[in-house]
Amino acid sequence: MLESLEIAMFYSLVIATTLCMLLYFVWLGSKNELIGRLATYLTIVALIANVFAIILRMITSGHAPLSNGYEFLLTFVGGIMAVYLFTEFRYKLRSLGAFVMPIPFLLLLFIIMSMGPDERIAQAIPPALKSQWLTFHVLTAMFAYGAFAVSFSLAIMYLLKFSKKEDEKKSEPKGIVSRFPSLERLDELAYKVVGFAFPLLSLCIITGAIWANYAWGTYWSWDPKETWSLITWIIYAGYLHARSMYGWKGKGAAWLAIFGFVAVIFTFFGVNYLLPGLHSYAQ
Amino acid sequence: MTESSKDLSDRIWDIFSSMKLGLALLGIIAFTAAIGTVVPQIDQAPQKAEAVSQLWITMGFTHLYSAVWFRFLLGLLCINLIVCSTQRFRGIYKRTFKLTPPSNLARVPQKNRLVIQGELVALRESVQEVLIQEGFRFTLSDQPDHWSFIAIKRRLGNWGSLVTHLSFVVLVVGALLGSLLGFKGYFMEGAGTTLPIQAIEVSKGLISETFSVRINSAEDRLLPNGERDNWYTDMSILESGQEVARKTLSVNHPFKYKGITFYQANFADGALFTAEINGKSSPVVLRDHRQSFYQAPGTDLFLVTNLERNLAKTPSVVFQVYKGTGNEPIQTGQLKSGETVNVQGAYSLTFDGLAGFTGLQVKKDPGVVVIWLGCGLLLGGLLLAFYWQPLVISGILQSESGKQGNLTVGALSGKMTDSTHKALEQFVSSVTKMIR
Ligand code: HEM
Repeated sequence: MLESLEIAMFYSLVIATTLCMLLYFVWLGSKNELIGRLATYLTIVALIANVFAIILRMITSGHAPLSNGYEFLLTFVGGIMAVYLFTEFRYKLRSLGAFVMPIPFLLLLFIIMSMGPDERIAQAIPPALKSQWLTFHVLTAMFAYGAFAVSFSLAIMYLLKFSKKEDEKKSEPKGIVSRFPSLERLDELAYKVVGFAFPLLSLCIITGAIWANYAWGTYWSWDPKETWSLITWIIYAGYLHARSMYGWKGKGAAWLAIFGFVAVIFTFFGVNYLLPGLHSYAQ
Repeated sequence: MTESSKDLSDRIWDIFSSMKLGLALLGIIAFTAAIGTVVPQIDQAPQKAEAVSQLWITMGFTHLYSAVWFRFLLGLLCINLIVCSTQRFRGIYKRTFKLTPPSNLARVPQKNRLVIQGELVALRESVQEVLIQEGFRFTLSDQPDHWSFIAIKRRLGNWGSLVTHLSFVVLVVGALLGSLLGFKGYFMEGAGTTLPIQAIEVSKGLISETFSVRINSAEDRLLPNGERDNWYTDMSILESGQEVARKTLSVNHPFKYKGITFYQANFADGALFTAEINGKSSPVVLRDHRQSFYQAPGTDLFLVTNLERNLAKTPSVVFQVYKGTGNEPIQTGQLKSGETVNVQGAYSLTFDGLAGFTGLQVKKDPGVVVIWLGCGLLLGGLLLAFYWQPLVISGILQSESGKQGNLTVGALSGKMTDSTHKALEQFVSSVTKMIR
């Protein structure tokens, strides 16, 4: 009963995400206010479906959503949408939607294409994963990674607008990019979002270390997943420094933000699917 | 000190106070750490690591994170961070505790500036009023030709980046303490055994403690739905034969005694026997799958066992006895719980039932508290740096004609230009409201 409700929630999430992504695209081209509103509402629907799917999963499995890749991706998608919606409301920035929503869409597509039903069902977790620290670990990862996805999209928008501006020399760019906020604002927003996420990523790594110390007596064992989260952390530390000390605003900073998110994605996909994984419980 | 050596130390100091070096080091560390996730590491995949070409092994790429040069890089980064922090300390201290009101108009921040016109006395009073209301700390300066102020809010935010940087050094010190003064070991023993702590297999460090450990019981507990609940080990600490502590531990619930922590890491099945030699009986626990053996004292007979996993309620085992270095067993048989057999006329063996074998990770790491301290500082520093940004507003009041004057206020725009601007606007509107 609860399981089928969860599956219904998952597919509502997929449909709402797909539709809102398309609507954000249309809105960007058409400037139709009604379509824009609809896109926002659908994003809210998608987030609610996502949260319910996760809660139902936690009820049926009795633990935090971390027993497999499906659960992790679901929380990742939720984090992206939550941070995105906050940004949209706080900064009145609907054009961002067209650049953020493809990310959860692709992640959900990945689930549908590559994970069979038996890979999605709740699995029993080994004793080592039964720890409250892991709940914090997942929660902080969710918001940190969600925010990094948003900063990635802001950086893409920055670069798009920047290159358009170069092409058209001095005149204000026309077309879709004219609906973007100013370059300075995009840059500053990306910085704010990273500034929000960086302490969270640190907390995520720390709670992971506390848990590992309880479970195996080593707070840090340099397994590939840990190492890659550290690399991600260093890249974003580089971003913050380059920006605040060298005034590396704009293009350089935008590229670093993109690079950082590539590391985020690699920490999940690359480590699980490409490297000889040790964090095997996450698979 | 001679001139040139002073030059040299200055030059070294300059190199280490450069942020370029710091960022380069961070980049190199990230890059080499990434290499370590591709090249197999001895700790994680020993066979594969040995298959890597000799040159790479010699250069430390298969134990990268403990390689000398990797630690050297971390050390350089620490020196860099300490030098940077020392150099910045005074500046931060001044910006936080020794703010001086602007002495002329040019000292008011230029980028973020607003002007209020009004009556001199009213302006002065309302500025102070608003500053108190909004929780600023401020300093005033009353000069014949002007009146000025500087005010700060959330001033501890200035320390955020310094605390963050030093926390990294604390973390490295914690890790160093652990690897210098700690040890790491592992043992697997059956229920009923006692072993001195010095006897366990150590993979890092040395054990100086002398107590013994007794495994009272070891259990693999399942939940009603068939999933594993946890592995439980009831263990005692013995100091010269006397029990001084006892605790049941399980995965995620370690047990600590005198700075040494025991972690439930593994579990295996085994069998409990009683061996009787010349009227003296002693317990014998053997691991399933012939993973351990028993050599009866005074003989060259070796006993191993396999558990029978059948549907019968009463457990049973298959046992085999080898003689010397012989490859073929000289005696085999099966025993049900309570049954006794004579082994080669040397002793009698009774199977008492199943016994759990518990695998415990044993660790002493005096650096862990330092690590947690470093983590706390890191988080605290980051929260200060990003969620507690200081706001500094200063202003100067100059008389225009008689009792009227212009108050020019400005805010130092830190990293967040637009929020500083909003804060300044809000301050100005509060002051304006008050003088009306
Ligand atoms: C271990 C890695 C490091 C971390 C986690 C770190 C973290 C930070 C953070 C969070 C800030 C505040 C940035 C902002 O507010 O935008 C900062 C600023 C700064 N960092 Fe680092 N940092 C690290 C390494 C370094 C190194 C190696 C140096 C140079 C030697 C350095 C020099 C600075 C300087 C000069 C600032 C500017 C402070 C300010 O704006 O008040 N950092 N760092």
